[in-house]
Amino acid sequence: MADRNPPEDRLDNLRDRVAKARGETSSTSQPPDSAASLAFRFGGEFGAAILVGALLGYGADFFIHTSPWGLVAGLVLGFAAGVVNIVRVASAYNKANPPDPNAPRIPDDDD
Amino acid sequence: MSNDPIHQFHINPISPPIHLGAIDATFTNASLFMVAGVAVASGFMAWAMRSQALVPNRAQSVAEIGYSFIHGMVKDAAGEEGVKRFFPFVFTLFTFIFMANMLGMFPYWFAPTSQIIVTATMALMVFFTVLIIGIAKNGAKFLKLFVPSGVPIYILPFVVLIEIISFFSRPLSHAVRLWANVLAGHLVLKVFAGFVPMMAAAGGIVAIGSVLPLTMTVALYALEFLVAFLQAYVFALLTCIYLNDALHPGH
Repeated sequence: MADRNPPEDRLDNLRDRVAKARGETSSTSQPPDSAASLAFRFGGEFGAAILVGALLGYGADFFIHTSPWGLVAGLVLGFAAGVVNIVRVASAYNKANPPDPNAPRIPDDDD
Repeated sequence: MSNDPIHQFHINPISPPIHLGAIDATFTNASLFMVAGVAVASGFMAWAMRSQALVPNRAQSVAEIGYSFIHGMVKDAAGEEGVKRFFPFVFTLFTFIFMANMLGMFPYWFAPTSQIIVTATMALMVFFTVLIIGIAKNGAKFLKLFVPSGVPIYILPFVVLIEIISFFSRPLSHAVRLWANVLAGHLVLKVFAGFVPMMAAAGGIVAIGSVLPLTMTVALYALEFLVAFLQAYVFALLTCIYLNDALHPGH
């Protein structure tokens, strides 16, 4: 019986072998984001940045008495930060879900 | 009254008033369901893993799949070091939110995650963990998070301001996403369910039509179960992404 591995090793190997047979490298499977949750994500990221920007600007006004310029600058910067947030989320999403290379090409106005 | 869709979110004390100094620590229905969520989650884990068999039975399989699901998520988003430091934190957050959402799906029960103070507390906990661990571990290098590389010097101050606002907006969007999803889901369910007795009571052809909102309620209920899981997952995933910034600042 010396040629038999202890059962733990066999089970360890099993995981690798199953992953190899499936052609996977990682064992995790992520559920796809639903369209609604993605929309919530975009809206939340955008709105939150504007709110925080406005609040920071308002706080600056309150402490250094520059009303209303802090609020104005905060809103504008918050808007920019919101766009940055959305671009980050969108590029992360695109990286995680690349478009199907075999998908049929749809002509658009640029063609 | 019974058709008021907001009524389900009312906080009602269920113990005599408890005051700890200036803090009102009265035990409410929200506290009850948070305690219940913790009790169910830890009770299930302890019960499912009681035999610790090499070949797991069904309950142990569920516990192990849940464990390795979160383990894989933390590993993907924050690396091996993230697993070592933050896995218990993320796993606790996920199971707590998941159980709170699921208990809230029972009719007449309460969903603690529909209160923004609950989700905001968890989001702020993550935010301050990132801040404290990030500064303790990286020192001044943590500030690289606000200074993206490869930006021309003349717009750098502008970009740094935007990055700071973006950083501080994280706990807000983190908290609001979970809260808004749970709140909106329960509101819509209640509104559609409320149509059923109203139309049934109207009589005639309208009473027959009451089957339409009933169908909608059943369909939405299924969707809400998906949302309950998905939002717990999204909250935990974003936690991992933010915690990764604490370990590896700089884009």
